[in-house]
Amino acid sequence: MKHKGHHAGEWLAERIVQVAGVLAIVFVVLIFVFLLREATPVLRAYSPWKMLTGRGWFPTAEPPEFGLLPLLLGSLYVTLGALGIAVPLGLACAIFIGEVAPKRLREWLKPAVELLAAVPSVVFGFVGLLLLGPWLAERLALPVGQFAALGSLLLAFMAIPTIVSVSEDALRAVPRTLRENSLALGATQWQTICRVVFPAARSGILAAVLLGLGRAIGETMTVLMVTGNAAVVPAGFSGFLRPVRTMTATIAAEMGETAYQTPHYHALFAIGLVLFLIAFAVNVIADLATRRAAGVGR
Amino acid sequence: MSRTIPVALRLALAVALAVALAGCRGPRSSTEQTISQLGSTTALPLAQEWRKAYNAAHPEVDIAVSGGGSGTGIKALISGTAQIANASREIKAEEIEQAKAAGVDPVEHVVAYDGIAVIVHPSNPIALLSVEQVSDLFAGKATDWGDVTAKGLGEVQLISRDSASGTYEAFKELVVTLGGADKSRDYAPQALKQASNQAILTMVAQTKTAIGYVGLGYLDESVKALDIVPLGGEKAVAPAPGSVLDGTYPISRPLYCYTNGEPTGVLKEYLDWIKGPEGQGIVERLGFVPASGEAAERPGSER
Repeated sequence: MKHKGHHAGEWLAERIVQVAGVLAIVFVVLIFVFLLREATPVLRAYSPWKMLTGRGWFPTAEPPEFGLLPLLLGSLYVTLGALGIAVPLGLACAIFIGEVAPKRLREWLKPAVELLAAVPSVVFGFVGLLLLGPWLAERLALPVGQFAALGSLLLAFMAIPTIVSVSEDALRAVPRTLRENSLALGATQWQTICRVVFPAARSGILAAVLLGLGRAIGETMTVLMVTGNAAVVPAGFSGFLRPVRTMTATIAAEMGETAYQTPHYHALFAIGLVLFLIAFAVNVIADLATRRAAGVGR
Repeated sequence: MSRTIPVALRLALAVALAVALAGCRGPRSSTEQTISQLGSTTALPLAQEWRKAYNAAHPEVDIAVSGGGSGTGIKALISGTAQIANASREIKAEEIEQAKAAGVDPVEHVVAYDGIAVIVHPSNPIALLSVEQVSDLFAGKATDWGDVTAKGLGEVQLISRDSASGTYEAFKELVVTLGGADKSRDYAPQALKQASNQAILTMVAQTKTAIGYVGLGYLDESVKALDIVPLGGEKAVAPAPGSVLDGTYPISRPLYCYTNGEPTGVLKEYLDWIKGPEGQGIVERLGFVPASGEAAERPGSER
């Protein structure tokens, strides 16, 4: 009796876990189908290519214009700017924590960096909007305190914990023997880090960067608050110092207003679809990279 | 018995409970003691004060107030999750169609009037602009302050609400399109979009070359409100409750509450109270302009 009951319980627990696992996949598929269904009417009425390359986003004009280019480039500028700041800082931080810092300091540093991930994005937004934005605008003689690079800077702080945490794990997964052999051959610690440990952890570090990218491109609240949301096509390097509008901020700002089942409503779902595909691609590449990293580690 | 069964059972119970709870939610329009009121952020301070004052006298009525924008409020009215939709613009024809399709009959109540003030940084030398000039600026026809007499100030920074806002729609209708005379005009793409009246106020107060617009109730010392010359007029009028009420200030619009059908019971009592002396006293105290005693009530579908 006891034996049987144990098995029944185990069976039930296993099924529940299994169902939960399958449900996660089902939900992702359902979300994709839902996005596609809601975006289809606008993709039929305006060609997808025309939408992607259109330079004007005037959803409430008569007739409306649904050019996604300013939004796509806006997201790209803010995200690449964020990576430009977060990747060097994050990797340097990971190398320090993983390879250089004494053990006691490391035990304090890693949780401290990870704590940064717990700060709600709206708090970053407030800091940017009320303190950093006006301050930077005055120092850099910018006309207005809401611009792409400000969003990049704040997003960088949000992406750094992910990058540090994942790449530090990758560095630590490099076998000790590699380091010891390198040092035994007379290499300095710095040579060992750059030429032996870092290359060996390459795939894991790539995964860290891509996960950071995924974090940055999907972030909504902070960019909505600090990038000004002007739907202009950014151009050249000066585009970083001008207001931009990202895809996520557009959905967040306009979904409240659109009347249900209008072209504008469907166009917002089309943006969601584009975002979904980008995030999906980034995650797949990150996943492939982590798998390779796991292979190398063994 | 092993310990795995209770754990599994607990899990199953939790799932069952969650499903049961989810099933309990739904349109609450049948319970008349609860009023959910949401929509326009312009009208939000009003709705909050109304709720506070009304609840003090009628604790048995549970009123839930939130913002989200005029469009959000009307959507909630159509889906049955709100009993009152606050709007700072009239309901759109397509929204009426959707309401009809969902079996909802939106009825309009004018509860207050609001002026929209055009604001600049306090250091800006300009004191007045015509509606045409403000339209030129916001439509991107004039991009330098020199184009509107403030030489040497540089490029104009436009600060606008986002399109979820009734103020955005009202300002576009009244000013940018020159009162509907030039429908081809729209906000210039370089206009910064802010999520609330307060955010516009903050940005304009921080930015020397900025121009923006906010509801009268939000005006304070941190910005300068411009006097406005009406279309075809000659004399500039300062934005104030008095000039909104007598109709001389050109940029003003009614604030609406929409209900599903003519209100009855508790809902009717609440709306009557809002339109009565107490509710309208709050309107005046918050810097809006009271709707006259015989506040217009007409079905939204008759336009």
